Amino acid sequence: MLSATFYERGYDHQVEIIHQHDAEARRRLESLQVSLYDRDGALLATPRVDPAGDIVDLGALVRDSTDARERVMVVFDARYDEAIFPYRPHHYAYLHRPRSPAPPLYYAINAVLGGVPDRVGATHINNFETYVFRRGPFDARYSVVLGCLARFVPVQVQIFTYYGAKRIAQEVTLPPKCHREVDLAPEHESERLIRVEIKALFRIVSYVVGRRADTGDLMLFDHLFTYVK
Amino acid sequence: MTPAGSVQPEPQDELLLCYCTMVTVGELRSACGSGRWPLPGKENTGKLCTGCVGDLLYCLARFGVSASL
Repeated sequence: MLSATFYERGYDHQVEIIHQHDAEARRRLESLQVSLYDRDGALLATPRVDPAGDIVDLGALVRDSTDARERVMVVFDARYDEAIFPYRPHHYAYLHRPRSPAPPLYYAINAVLGGVPDRVGATHINNFETYVFRRGPFDARYSVVLGCLARFVPVQVQIFTYYGAKRIAQEVTLPPKCHREVDLAPEHESERLIRVEIKALFRIVSYVVGRRADTGDLMLFDHLFTYVK
Repeated sequence: MTPAGSVQPEPQDELLLCYCTMVTVGELRSACGSGRWPLPGKENTGKLCTGCVGDLLYCLARFGVSASL
């Protein structure tokens, strides 16, 4: 399974390689390859990570293997023994800026390739995703962070935001391994942002992001939801 | 979508193309070359997580097979 998240400097960002444990034995990945990419898709590093480990400290990983100061896309290529893992469990992550009053975040890392093993047999379209924002006044700036894990082709991504009955469309093209943050206006013609949708030919890396208006600290970092079943 | 004059990347046979059905580029190339695509049991390639669809269509076109799912 190929999954990806984004690391920003200044955050404590810990990834649980295997969330699931059983009482009798620790379950391990067969292998794990990690790759780091900049916003334009340049490969920055392929640091070695022990597949038998529990936690990967993304801050240490990025600091020790790159001099990147901008956001880095971190790609996890995990291989599973099907006898040990009848399905392919997600990686999970903890995210917090030290000394920030914002609460820590815990989220499932976006699985982009191989999240639906053939034996599961599900054929739901999962490349249309949506996120509904909470009601009430915003005290945050919202955006989506998108990445392309294709090997050969770019992807055109449509981002639709809804304000009352109005819909605003944006489009971004992502070449292989590129990533972008797309800001979402909190209001349009005095109507509040209520929903965002992302559509693409194939599944991409996508997170909805909220930053505190006063400090910029992350207060939301989560996957969107598929709505075509 | 590839800029004019740029070289299109050549898919390497060992690359795992579809992580859901575990099809490699080499298997796809061989099946396309012998008119056997989709291989039995691999009909869901590109239809499950959908993450490989762009690459699959690219490879099918590259290997001379009508690029559709």
